[in-house]
Amino acid sequence: MLEVLFIGLSLGSILLLVALGLAITYGAMGVINMAHGEMVMVGAYVTVLSGLWLGTNIFVAIPLAFIVTALLGLFIERIVVRKLYGRLLDTLLATWGVAILIQQAVRLEFGLSFFGIHIQGLGPGLQNVDVPGILQGTLHIAGADINRYRTFIILVTAVLTLATWFLLYRTVAGTQVRAIIRNPKMAAACGIDVDRVNALTFAFGSGLAGVAGVMMSGFKTVFPDMGTPMVVDGFMVVVMGGVGSLLGSVLSAGILGEINGVVAAGTNDILARAVVFGVVIAIIILKPKGLFALKGR
Amino acid sequence: MSSQRRIDWAIYAGFVILIMLVPLVMDPFWLNRIAKYLVFGMLGIAVALSWGYAGILNLGQGLFFGAGAYMLAMSLKLASATSLQQGSDRPVPDFMLWNAEPGAKTELCCITKASFLWLPFQSQWFGFAMGLILPVLMAVVVGLIVFRKRISGVFVSIIMLALVLLVRLVMIDAQPVTNGFNGLTDLGWFKIGDFEFDPYIVPTYYLIAGSLSVVLLAARLLIDTRAGVILQAVRNDENRARYLGFDVPAYQTFFFAVSAAIAGFAGMLYVIVSEFASPTFMDLSFSITMVVWAAVGGRASILGACIGAIAINMISATVSETEGFAEAWKAIIGLIFVLVVLYLPRGIAGLAHDLIDRVVARKTPRASPVLRVHDATSQLAE
Repeated sequence: MLEVLFIGLSLGSILLLVALGLAITYGAMGVINMAHGEMVMVGAYVTVLSGLWLGTNIFVAIPLAFIVTALLGLFIERIVVRKLYGRLLDTLLATWGVAILIQQAVRLEFGLSFFGIHIQGLGPGLQNVDVPGILQGTLHIAGADINRYRTFIILVTAVLTLATWFLLYRTVAGTQVRAIIRNPKMAAACGIDVDRVNALTFAFGSGLAGVAGVMMSGFKTVFPDMGTPMVVDGFMVVVMGGVGSLLGSVLSAGILGEINGVVAAGTNDILARAVVFGVVIAIIILKPKGLFALKGR
Repeated sequence: MSSQRRIDWAIYAGFVILIMLVPLVMDPFWLNRIAKYLVFGMLGIAVALSWGYAGILNLGQGLFFGAGAYMLAMSLKLASATSLQQGSDRPVPDFMLWNAEPGAKTELCCITKASFLWLPFQSQWFGFAMGLILPVLMAVVVGLIVFRKRISGVFVSIIMLALVLLVRLVMIDAQPVTNGFNGLTDLGWFKIGDFEFDPYIVPTYYLIAGSLSVVLLAARLLIDTRAGVILQAVRNDENRARYLGFDVPAYQTFFFAVSAAIAGFAGMLYVIVSEFASPTFMDLSFSITMVVWAAVGGRASILGACIGAIAINMISATVSETEGFAEAWKAIIGLIFVLVVLYLPRGIAGLAHDLIDRVVARKTPRASPVLRVHDATSQLAE
């Protein structure tokens, strides 16, 4: 049973890892970023490419992926998202287009494959990442076998969540972000540069997705379409937890992860996912604002 | 009738005549392909109705399409020749034999645990009726729960998205009854009386084109009715409509169900021309792709969304013929989509409307001031 709960916890931490960035961009900026899953994918490819071309391991890839995806996020915000503030559903549609573009860019090796140039590590095929020996195998704790890599994921997620919490609740920039979550117009009237804060928030959220991608690459195959199901999962977590509530996202990721783990142990993975979707639907219907909604003003 | 409205109907009529003339110039292979794209055009209509007119962005329209498709496909599966050769005097789908319960009789009633659900589908018209009833039933149940609770906007989108993915997973998991991932293939032909609709013959094309024309014109008439106008008022300001005393959830549910029925009907027609039904109909990407078609064509125009769907698929098919260009085309679609959302939120139809308005305004200079006021209000309504 302890092992099942542990698997649930690690599934939940993966969900949280993906959802953390979405929680910030959706909560703070009112942008449904469907390209978020592609940020995860790009993060995973950064791991693949840095391993192939620089010979570095997964630990180096974490900061690298954060920087690459944060810059990509900044770029997308400038070009597309900025023009769509206040049009929630349109952001969903436009970023879906962006997502396709990023996927195809990876699949076509930035268009170079048309000229017969191939970059090792890109293209439509599947890629694998070798995990350092330290993260392989299992630990024995209290009579249960605990997978080391899953433990690593849980730790990274915990660190990132704490960092995000600290940024949001203990820094000036975070206070500004929270002011924008509550009321963007009032925040602007108080002298907060909403455009700038939004752009940085979007970049930070994208960077978190990139780190999520690094963690994914350690136990999943890396391929251009890998991001799409993740954005759906991440989005469910955010909506269920309550828009703009970090605590809500943490708890709903944990709940959904455990449900997934326990049901999968009893039946199979497919039904477990179906049950998760069912729970999310029920919660949105019962509490449309999510489990931990902010009191709006 | 205002001149705009006259032009509007003339364009609708022109479109119907155009699709009726296609068989004169196309070979059977292309005719079959175009029939498929007309089916997608019908999906465009379904999306425009719920998104453009009811303001409900349904990211799970594939649920209704898939439901319609599976219902008819079950009947057609039982009508296929292989289903009759499984060692029983009555039809049994071949995949059920591969999934049979140990020692079970080769009969629909009991070969797998839930195979008895297939029994009524031995009648093709039962499958056909269910292809309309099931989507409508689902839409009404979802609509009554969701709209009565005043859930709106993105939350409806998420609920539908989760629902279509949930149903898709259940369908895949229920392998012994649905053939899981593989879907239903090797189907018989749809029959009316003794006439068999081979997907590669001209009458089948006319079955599709005729259905599309009827649905198109009916949808256009529907949005001009009182209910349609009230619906648009609800879309523009839900609370105001509520204060005026309209039963908002009832109107939303009704149009949601109409949209579901159209999608279910499209699913059935798709099965007739493509001869398969598969869980990919309920993929997230397919549901979003439908929205893309409608957005490019014009979300607030029935015909625009329909043409958008047909045009994108026609161009895709032509472009994909060139080897290696298919993937690049996908990227172009992505780019077009971003550009349309950013710079052309009313789609191609919106652009066409503006052009027509300008031409009309120039032709009738005396009426122009009044007309302009009228334009402004109608644009506000959009």
